[in-house]
Amino acid sequence: MQTLNYQFPADREPARRAHVGVVGSGDLEILMTPEASGGARVRVRTSVDGFDTVWRTVLERFFARHRVGGSFELNDFGATPGVVTLRLRQVIQEGGI
Amino acid sequence: MTSAPLSGQASPDRPPPDRTAPHRTAPDPVAPDRVAPLARDSFIELHARARATALLDDGTARELCGPFDRIESPWLAAQEVVPQSDDGVVVVKGELGRRPVVVIAIEQAFQGGGIGEVSGAKITAALSLAAQDNRHGVPTAAILLLETGGVRLQEANLGLATVAEVCSAVLELRALSPVIGVIAGALGCFGGMSIAAGLCTELIMTREGRLGLNGPEVIESEAGVAEFDASDHTLIWAIHGGTQRTATGLADVLVSDDVAEVRSAVREALGRGVPDEHRSQRIGELRALLEAVDPAHPPDPADLPALRANAAPVGSAARTNAAPGESAVPANTAPGESAVPANAPPGESAGPANAAPRESAVPANTAPVPANAAPEERGRPMRTRDAATASRGLAWIRALAGGEVGSVVPSVVTADVMLGDDSARLLAVVPDPGSPYHRARAGEVGLREGLALAEAVTEVVTRDVGLPEERRRPIVAVVDVPSQAYGRVEELLGIHHALAAAVDAYASARTAGHPVIALIVGTALSGGFLAHGSQAGRMLALDDPRVVIHAMHEQAAARVTRRTVAELEELARRIPPLSYDVGDWAKLGLCDELLDVGDADEPTGEDVRRVRAALTAAAGRARHGPRDLSDRLTSPAALRTRAASRRIHEALTAQWR
Repeated sequence: MQTLNYQFPADREPARRAHVGVVGSGDLEILMTPEASGGARVRVRTSVDGFDTVWRTVLERFFARHRVGGSFELNDFGATPGVVTLRLRQVIQEGGI
Repeated sequence: MTSAPLSGQASPDRPPPDRTAPHRTAPDPVAPDRVAPLARDSFIELHARARATALLDDGTARELCGPFDRIESPWLAAQEVVPQSDDGVVVVKGELGRRPVVVIAIEQAFQGGGIGEVSGAKITAALSLAAQDNRHGVPTAAILLLETGGVRLQEANLGLATVAEVCSAVLELRALSPVIGVIAGALGCFGGMSIAAGLCTELIMTREGRLGLNGPEVIESEAGVAEFDASDHTLIWAIHGGTQRTATGLADVLVSDDVAEVRSAVREALGRGVPDEHRSQRIGELRALLEAVDPAHPPDPADLPALRANAAPVGSAARTNAAPGESAVPANTAPGESAVPANAPPGESAGPANAAPRESAVPANTAPVPANAAPEERGRPMRTRDAATASRGLAWIRALAGGEVGSVVPSVVTADVMLGDDSARLLAVVPDPGSPYHRARAGEVGLREGLALAEAVTEVVTRDVGLPEERRRPIVAVVDVPSQAYGRVEELLGIHHALAAAVDAYASARTAGHPVIALIVGTALSGGFLAHGSQAGRMLALDDPRVVIHAMHEQAAARVTRRTVAELEELARRIPPLSYDVGDWAKLGLCDELLDVGDADEPTGEDVRRVRAALTAAAGRARHGPRDLSDRLTSPAALRTRAASRRIHEALTAQWR
């Protein structure tokens, strides 16, 4: 298991907290909580070590496009980049973005 | 890193085409209608949270201890396993048909639905709070959505402890309001949680659901492919599948994989209320079935429904045949039908169930083995034992009884021993090399042993029912069990049900005021320990290197969690619930006392005096302590080790209203 932390600039805040997904094979869960800080704080705990660069790329692209702030906790069990992006879009949608 | 649950979850997630015998559970949901399934709203495809909500009246669902409470397993991250924010159990309060209910859904995608400390504590706390509602006039019922491999091996001994607590909590609520189990699939319900399923008021299954104590892969790895071929899907569903379980009385209602159908089946089951006698109490039926089957020549699974119907004792046979005009529908699922036939003679409804266990003196040669084990076996767990290995259970029960022991069956021996002013009934499961059940010859708890324990404990409770509660006899489980029996005939006939009967009997004795004490003198592993010892209100263990208490023996646990034995041992040094050392087990908050003895294999006179004094003191404490298992969370050790369980109980209690 590896824990990764990232921060991204943001100018939109979700209306409410949201939770999606499960820590099951090829999937992940995300807990999103609005924060007053203005940026996005992302903590990833992943079962697969050594993919720091892929995580950075996937998250940079997502947060550059959506510019959503708040705390994002990702508990990952081997999701592919496509599934990660899908779950991120789902969680901000449920959070009112 | 991934991990598998206790049972064989790698089996296919859909049953093979239906080739079972014509079953009596029509309307058949597997009629070759290719369109209807497409119009259904699948229940199986939902994750646990969506399943729980889907069963409730619109707008009434409220989740308790949800993801944002972030009460995770405290043990997984330390093992490099990613935790889940709800630990894989979703608790949702709401209404169904305007009746207050709590739905407890296990998420099969997370760690194979394995039950750890937090997830188990969530189930226990929710059931206990529902029971408390009932005592305050609010008839909260519970619905358990069971998709689980059983104990989560990464939390081994705490998982095992919480499963025992879940069983106790099911029994507590079941007496007041229905506890309805749903096994929809695709994982099924296996391991220790199959015992909890066996205790439910009613069980609802789909043909995709499976129910059994040991999954096919576990049996194959323990006993070989000849015993159970885990790649034979037809065999798996013929034994564990929902269609078979419903046809053989181990489940009650068979439904299609459809949200509306599951919901209405649950609602109807709730409407039938609390029966006079629960499945796990109907031990007469189990005895009749076991007497009708020759384990050396087990019946074809397809013939079992008819065999069982013919074998049923008088009372239940009358019930099964009660609705001749409705032969296509199992009689015991017909709405409005009472669990006891109207024409049953009062007091005899269970027929042979009330028969006293057949006591007989144990011949001297029943002890097939020397009392002392080979020295090289010391210091490590006894994985499998052949007939040439010791039974500490027999050595201790004999020593405590001064040699006078009887037996219910050759593998379950009993003795009466004075503890202070009390005459206590001691019970031990011992090897029986001559057992017709070839997977239960080395002291494992199998079908026969589960039934015998249930009968022996129930007999004590029945005899003492007229006594003042403070005079009811202590019951001591002398524990030395290598495991439950891993075998095909065991699964076919429902070993989980036999073990549920034993769990029910022990827990019922405890709640009736009998001091129930476990004295662990050897191995206490897995389902064997759940059935024989885990329901004790007080637990004593010998402080001896060959006393081993665990959810699974080391080699199998390593296999299932995909680690080496060396890795497992290294983890166990840091993570107490994983440890095989009795000293570490004693720190989990379950243990009353570790007992120093001179010779754990051949107890000396001084050892016997010391253990008898400890048992007497434990019986006294049990008489003054709680009759549930709640003080397992308040012991000084539990204050440290089970902080997460305590947090769950506090948070769930605070959020309940």
